[in-house]
Amino acid sequence: MAEAAPAGWTEVPKWLVPRPTKEDREYWEGAGRGELRIQRCLTCGRHQHYARMLCSHCGKQTLEWVTASGRGTVYSFTVIRQNGVPPFNERIPFVVATVDLDEDGARLIAPMPELAPDEARVGMRVRAAFRPAPEGLGFVDFAAE
Amino acid sequence: MCIVGVGLSDGPVTPDLSAVMLEAQSFRRALDDAGLEKDDIDGLASAGYGGMHEVALAEYLGLAPTWLESSSVGGSSFEFHAMHAYRAIQNGDADTIAIVYGNNQLSASGRTLGTGGGGGGRGGMALPLPMSYEFPTGLTLVGAYAMAAQRHMHEYGTKPEQLASISVQTREHAARNPNAMYRDPITVDDVMSSRLVADPLHKLDCCVISDGGCCVIMSTEERARDLGHRPVFVRGAAGGTTHHSIAAMADMTRTAAAVSGPKAFAEAGITPADVDMFAMYDSFTYTVLVVLEDLGFAPKGEGGAFVSDNGGNLRLGGALPTNTDGGGLSATHPGMRGLFLLCEATRQLRGEAGASQVPGAEIAVAHGSGGWLSTQATVVLGTEGN
Repeated sequence: MAEAAPAGWTEVPKWLVPRPTKEDREYWEGAGRGELRIQRCLTCGRHQHYARMLCSHCGKQTLEWVTASGRGTVYSFTVIRQNGVPPFNERIPFVVATVDLDEDGARLIAPMPELAPDEARVGMRVRAAFRPAPEGLGFVDFAAE
Repeated sequence: MCIVGVGLSDGPVTPDLSAVMLEAQSFRRALDDAGLEKDDIDGLASAGYGGMHEVALAEYLGLAPTWLESSSVGGSSFEFHAMHAYRAIQNGDADTIAIVYGNNQLSASGRTLGTGGGGGGRGGMALPLPMSYEFPTGLTLVGAYAMAAQRHMHEYGTKPEQLASISVQTREHAARNPNAMYRDPITVDDVMSSRLVADPLHKLDCCVISDGGCCVIMSTEERARDLGHRPVFVRGAAGGTTHHSIAAMADMTRTAAAVSGPKAFAEAGITPADVDMFAMYDSFTYTVLVVLEDLGFAPKGEGGAFVSDNGGNLRLGGALPTNTDGGGLSATHPGMRGLFLLCEATRQLRGEAGASQVPGAEIAVAHGSGGWLSTQATVVLGTEGN
C-alpha cells in the first residue's frame, strides 16, 4: 500500500524518476505495488539488494526474487540538514537510514520522511513505506514500527 | 625507490588557473625541486578526470612516457599510483615517474562537493549502480560519512567532541602554513557550534574545498643519491577496497585500511609505534579517527580517546603529529587530496617543514581514503630504505 508522504516528498523531478534496468525493473515495479522485492540465493540462502546477476555473498548465479517482510533494524542513520539540490533542499532536515532487513544479508539506504530527526536511533525497528513514482514505479522509504 | 621531487602549485584560491595549469605549475616546480628536466620523466600517473586524462596531460606537458597509470579510485588514487610506481621502478619498468594532480575545484564548481547530491547525478545522466538507489534518498557525500560516524558513536561511545578535537588540532597546524585556507585558531566549542551539515558532522568536521595542484616525482635509489635532496624512500605500500556505496560497507567502523596498513607496515618492517608523523586524508574528522584505529595507532574503538588524550596526540609534540600542513580540514582540498599527503610526508622526512617540522622524523605514513570510505591505501616512507 502506498502511504501519503509528507509535503515536499511527493514531487518527483524528471532526473529523479527511476529508470529501471533489465536487472532491477522488478524492484521498482514492486515498490510501485507496495512490495519490497529483493533477491534470495538458492545456494547460500542469503539475500541481497540491489539486484545483480550473481549472489554477492557466495558468487553463485542462483538468485530468485522474493518479497521481503519490509521489517528491519536501523544500522545507522544521519539527519541531512544541508543538500543544495532541489527537491531535497525543500525537505531538510530529514532522516536517511541504513536499514538491515530481517531477511539476512540485505541492506538498504532509505529516507524516513515521517520521523522527527531527534527520534532517530541506531537499533530502532522500522518498516518499509512506499512512495509513488511516475509510470507505476515507487520509492522505498522507512517508518518507525 | 625514492621520492626525488615534490611540487605544489599556487593556492589555495587560484581563479586565474585552470586544472591543467595547476598540474603544469606543480609539475614544473617538482622538476625544479628534483633537479630534473621533463625528458627525464618516462612514467606519468594522474587521476580524477575523464578517460585518457594522463594521455592528454602527457601531450600538454610534451612528454612521451612509456609507463602510464590512471587508477581512478577517488581521493586515495595517488597512494595507489605511488604503490604502483614503486613496484614499476622496482621491476625496472620505468625509471622516473611523475604523479600529477591539479584541480580548480573551488573556482570552477564552488563549495558543493559534499552537499550537492553526493557530487553528481543531476542533469539526467545515467547513474552508475548502486548510486541510482542512493541519490534519490537525498543522502549526500557528507551524509554517508556521517552515518559511519554515527555507527562508531553507537558501538564505541565515541563523542562528537572527540571528532571535533581532530579539527582543532589540524587548525593548529594550519596556522603555521601561510598557504592554508583557514589559519585562525578554533576550539572544540567552535566546531560543536558550527552548523550541523549531516548529524553528527558539523561544518568544521568537513574538509575545505580549494584550488590546487601537486606533483610527486619518484625514481631509483641510484638517481636519488645523485640529486640534491636527502632521498625519501618508499618502504612499503598496500591498498584495497571493501565497497563502493556506503550501504555496502558491511562494518562502518572498519575500513580496508585494517588490511592495507598491516600489509604495508610488514613490508616496511615497522610497527605503528615507529611512525614519527602521519599524513592522513582528512576528508572528514571521522575519516581520520577510523583509519587511526584501522592502522593500529589506537585500538579499535579507542580512536576518540587517542586523538583527544595527552592534550591532543595529533599536535606537534603529540604521539603522532598528523597533517602538519593543516590537512584538508583547514589547508587544501582541491577535490582530491591524496597526492598532497605524499608531498607533506616528504617535506617532513627531508627536514624541510620549517615551523611545522617534527624533530628527527625518520618514518612517515601517507594514507589515502577515497569515495565513501571505499578505497584505502597506505604508503610507508622513510629516510632509510628497507
